Amino acid sequence: MMSYVADFIFMPLIAFVTGLGLVLMARRVRAKIERRVGPPVLQPIYDIVKLYAKKTQISHGIMHDLSIMMLLGGFITAEIFLPVPGFDGLAGEGDLITLIYIMMVPMLGLALGVGSCANPNGSIGISRALTAMLAYDIPFIIAVTGACMAYGTTNLIEIVQIQQAGGPASWGAATMPLLAFGGLLAVHGMMGKEPFEIYIAPAEIATGPMVEMSGKYMGALFIMQCFQLYTIGVIYTTLFLGGGENWPFFLAKVFAVVFISVAVTNVYGRFKTDTMIRWMWKWPTGIALAGLALVMAN
Amino acid sequence: MSDKLPVIEDQPEICRSVDAGERSVWTRVMNRFADHCRARSLFVLHYCTGCGAIELPPTITSRFDMERVGVSPMVTPRQADILLITGYLSIKTLKRVILSYEQMQSPKYVIGFGSCTINGGMYWNSYATVKRLDQYIPADLFIAGCMPRPEAVQQVLLKLMEDIDAGKANGWQDYYNNYDRYLGNQQALFGESWHTPTDVIAEAKHYGYLADGTMGRHTDLLLKRADYALDRVPEDYPERGKNERRLP
Repeated sequence: MMSYVADFIFMPLIAFVTGLGLVLMARRVRAKIERRVGPPVLQPIYDIVKLYAKKTQISHGIMHDLSIMMLLGGFITAEIFLPVPGFDGLAGEGDLITLIYIMMVPMLGLALGVGSCANPNGSIGISRALTAMLAYDIPFIIAVTGACMAYGTTNLIEIVQIQQAGGPASWGAATMPLLAFGGLLAVHGMMGKEPFEIYIAPAEIATGPMVEMSGKYMGALFIMQCFQLYTIGVIYTTLFLGGGENWPFFLAKVFAVVFISVAVTNVYGRFKTDTMIRWMWKWPTGIALAGLALVMAN
Repeated sequence: MSDKLPVIEDQPEICRSVDAGERSVWTRVMNRFADHCRARSLFVLHYCTGCGAIELPPTITSRFDMERVGVSPMVTPRQADILLITGYLSIKTLKRVILSYEQMQSPKYVIGFGSCTINGGMYWNSYATVKRLDQYIPADLFIAGCMPRPEAVQQVLLKLMEDIDAGKANGWQDYYNNYDRYLGNQQALFGESWHTPTDVIAEAKHYGYLADGTMGRHTDLLLKRADYALDRVPEDYPERGKNERRLP
């Protein structure tokens, strides 16, 4: 029991700190691509502290407050189910399927909270966000299912052990490249980066779901973004990049997964929602299905 | 100052009692830290109905890059810290500016960009434009010029950061403290029935920024209008009586 206490404290904490680094990297990479200097190193912390230090707050009712707890609670729970070097948390008790379910909680929480704001931009944004979730979750679930079939288990700890026993040649990315590639495209959509950020669309619907979020509510969303980037990076690393032997390698892999996404995002415009669904259900889903067929044939 | 200051017996509130929180070291350290962070993270809502908007893309993008000092554009008043008014405001757009300003969360700052916000600029004799922005909402800083260059925008942002860090950029408190004056000026332009969805007086009460200038004869007009509306709510309406505030 005592070992769990350390896990429950440190796993979300590590996730948050790493997530701050990921957010900073995303902003810096974007700045470099645009030939700018970019924000200072402590910028993500300044933003979060500033938002929490706002002197007036607007709440849109009890559901709005609860949604923030669902957002952060969902991600903090997800961190505990994700094995990282040195910490296994609840990864042995709950498996990948539990994790996938938990990862839906934050988005649904956001939907409930935004619904109580009564801002039409927010409603449009969240309906687009849930549609986007439908689009990227199908290829992602196919990739995850294929990986589970190939490894013969849904236990994340075992998946990591199988990959680490055989070295880089046994990593998911090497043994099932099609699934890994389809998964990477789905992960890109999951992060909400261009061309899949129609539900944020700052110039058109004023950041969509976030439109009524201010002060500490917005601060919670900034923290959620840290958790989101970290969670997605770690899931992909665990499934296809051999998980973590030690922290330096592990963090390098997580940063690399997010880096691929933020590096390609700047050259794209924005897909419409229907174009996005069509694209997601054609290319990543097709590639992942081909990968799944290969896995089943072996 | 030879003799002692007179003690006014019937106005004990003239000397504000200092609450314990203001004296504690912890609160002061935390406030200092918060000010430090506030100064280094500023989200700007650009109100670009005037011609000054054209100077902002170079300020944001690679030539001048304002993100390197922590300033980034935001699109909704709820998330923004700075309301940047670029150029002239017509009387019609001023209404929207006031609505946006009141939706922003404190601490919030207003920057008037260009001569038009200072004295009307080249529209000084127009019947349709606002001559002095700071009569209607509390402007923290102005940028003079027609047009001010991106360097000037950066300069004023750095000055604002300095002020915030020193705890001096308190225009938003002035709006709570002297709401009656601001509302009076607004009513002079828009007529007696002018009102906004944000209940500034209730906010001032709730957050403790109520001062002598918060309520007066101009805010009485708001109450009079509210009375008029309340009298037309049916007796059996379930929400009746909730949040009701009437003329004293």
